[in-house]
Amino acid sequence: MINLQPYADPQYFIYLLVALIPLMVGLWHGHRLKVYEVLVSLSFIVLMFTGEKWHQGVALIGYLIWQVVVIFAYAHYRKAHNQTSWFVIAVLASIFPLVIVKLTPVFSVTPSLLGFLGISYLTFKAVQIIMELRDGTIKALRVWPVIRFMCFMPTISSGPIDRFRRFEQDVEGAPERDQYLDMLNRAVKYLFLGFLYKYVLGYLFGTVWLPQLAHFALRIGGFSWSLVGYMYDYSMYLFFDFAGYSLFAVAISLIMGIDTPMNFNKPFAAPNIKEFWNRWHMSLSFWFRDFVFMRTTFFIMKHKLIKNRIRVSQVAYLINFLVMGFWHGVTWYYIVYGLFHAAAIIINDIWLRFKKKHRQSMPHNRFTQALAIFITFNVVCFSFLIFSGFLDTLFFK
Amino acid sequence: MKKRLWMIFGPVILACVLVLGVLLVPLPQGHLNQKTLREASVSMAPNILLGQRIKDQALKSDYVPFIGSSELSRMDAFHPSVLAAKYDRPYRPFLLGAPGTQSLTHYLDNQSWIRQYRGKKVVFIISLQWFTPKGVNPGAFQYFYSPLQAIQFLQHADSHDAADRYAAKRLLKLSPAKAHSDIREGLLDIAAGVKLGQGLNTRLAIHETLLRNEDSLFSRFTVGNHYARIQKGMAQLPEHATAAQLDALAGKIGAKATTNNHFGIENHFFSQRLGGNKLAKMRGKQATFDYRRSPEYGDFQLLLDQFAKNHIQVQFVIPPINAKWAQYTHLSQPMITTTTNKIKRQLADQGFSHVLDLTKAGRQPYFMQDTIHLGWRGWVAVDQVVDPFLTQQQAPDHYHIQPYFFSKGWANAQ
Repeated sequence: MINLQPYADPQYFIYLLVALIPLMVGLWHGHRLKVYEVLVSLSFIVLMFTGEKWHQGVALIGYLIWQVVVIFAYAHYRKAHNQTSWFVIAVLASIFPLVIVKLTPVFSVTPSLLGFLGISYLTFKAVQIIMELRDGTIKALRVWPVIRFMCFMPTISSGPIDRFRRFEQDVEGAPERDQYLDMLNRAVKYLFLGFLYKYVLGYLFGTVWLPQLAHFALRIGGFSWSLVGYMYDYSMYLFFDFAGYSLFAVAISLIMGIDTPMNFNKPFAAPNIKEFWNRWHMSLSFWFRDFVFMRTTFFIMKHKLIKNRIRVSQVAYLINFLVMGFWHGVTWYYIVYGLFHAAAIIINDIWLRFKKKHRQSMPHNRFTQALAIFITFNVVCFSFLIFSGFLDTLFFK
Repeated sequence: MKKRLWMIFGPVILACVLVLGVLLVPLPQGHLNQKTLREASVSMAPNILLGQRIKDQALKSDYVPFIGSSELSRMDAFHPSVLAAKYDRPYRPFLLGAPGTQSLTHYLDNQSWIRQYRGKKVVFIISLQWFTPKGVNPGAFQYFYSPLQAIQFLQHADSHDAADRYAAKRLLKLSPAKAHSDIREGLLDIAAGVKLGQGLNTRLAIHETLLRNEDSLFSRFTVGNHYARIQKGMAQLPEHATAAQLDALAGKIGAKATTNNHFGIENHFFSQRLGGNKLAKMRGKQATFDYRRSPEYGDFQLLLDQFAKNHIQVQFVIPPINAKWAQYTHLSQPMITTTTNKIKRQLADQGFSHVLDLTKAGRQPYFMQDTIHLGWRGWVAVDQVVDPFLTQQQAPDHYHIQPYFFSKGWANAQ
């Protein structure tokens, strides 16, 4: 049985694009071939989980049943009631499978049977629906649209994380022909930029250079120039690999007439850490901003846990990035990575306030802007060195 | 509207046609210049090892494969590549190997050239360190794995041949070979003793063309350039020298380069790899090392089988281990002797008669460049055997391969 991992090799695109032609013709004529769309999506999802990966497919089905039960139980409850405790229980129930999957490696060498490729991203989508039910921005729900949203084929494995209401608007209708042509135009551009990012640059940084740098850094041990090289090289690899993947996901979405949000916007040109998170893995950082940072802030203010507004946001940042760290995985380096970014963004905030106060005496020119970008870039690269887990291999293995 | 559609997809269609055209049409393999070959012959880079075009061309001219591993990178003034260039020998070494390459990697790599090299000569440096209880390290194997060579193996594999079936089984155990569905299918067939189907053969052939074109287009780039080191070595040598004079000079240069430790280890290596508290940590560390039982013996047999089938004459070299170092790390000398004898028996029993056993020379000063790698005087000693082997007519070898050496029984025999 053949197995197709999303965007793993050039053949995948050929198979996928050929399968999407009828859908494109439909959209060109202003119709969305809904049944065909489901069939294609389902086939490609099934092909992700064939062969040795069949148990992941089973896990996906079980997971979907679980989420549908949780979401609809809460939606039903929410029609008449709105207690915080039940909301918290619903969220906890929704993230429960992910927590199990993430905690399993701490206790066992075999990965959890509940796990499958994409579980994180599906969880973000499920939790988002529950949050919006709580807020009352989503009122009526049907089962099929929820599953369709969660399992949207181009983004099922690694995002970008779309929002339910935005997605529904796109998927229920079909774009105007002019609009669709614009979408196709963008799709082609993103596809080819993605090829450059993932298969050329990502390959160069990740497959050609990274193992060599790792080899030399491990041979010398401790601090070395190879380690510095590894840091920059890994950062480039991480960006080009994931940005390339994200471009593919957006491009395929666009071909299917869905305007999935972008994930990256020149992150290494960010002049400070705050801005960096507005440009890096955007759909994730915006999700965290809306559903972790803001909620934490409101919670603290509402319950007057902390008086000082500056302190409030600092604590919220800390919690936000700590959760993000744990989400990446329960290892010291992911958690340190989270703490590092929390510290960086808090320091950044202090600096921005200081700058605001002393605006007259503070120089602002091309050079200071370049310096800001340079510093931010290096801080970020260092955080990725932590994130890579290479220090763990270097120091403790 | 229609025009816009063409503007969007026209370039895409054109790009697809061009890419498929370039990759699937058999490209003319024009000649590479001498400089490229010279640099590639000492680059030891994965893209050379895993590729096709550069080796094809080099081995058709005066280059002779020198198969080995990390010792090949000890490019001092007495390295085979330096001596051959300086004294304008009729051969030039083409270094095949890098730190981490072992028998199985070489077996696959040889697929790319050995059939065209039938009846010629090869120098093979065996490292005792390959023969660990677990055999080849999967990470290193992955690093040096070439799908092109795996396909070439399948295309020439005989489903009734003990060696080919053994190789298929070994490759199936290592992850990279399983990653590609056609290669995996082929390996499963050969391992099971079944001929490859017509469809699979066609798919593999298309894939081979694709990989071959990719190699001929790109392999000349990213060549690691060590040639400057070869030239530096050449500058240190006199215009003419007898073996004794070379040996004396090697001793002199070696003495100058090993002043910061009493092991006779090259200074830079010592301070980089054993500096600080790293040395103290190594004391007694190798007492439990054991090379006597290893799947590597079976993998090594694959190479012998391959040499025999292609009537290749091989000069084997078994380098020593720095004796002072072995003493410090408590590496067992009896274990080394047993291992060496086992390898020599595997060679002698099957008719491989050119074996240079240097394992007793680990005590000689400036023979080793560091802990386990040949250097200065060691290279001179190698040269005294390798040069006549390559430049003089050798009596034909009579190989008689014995499948027993593939067995677990032999791998675990002492």
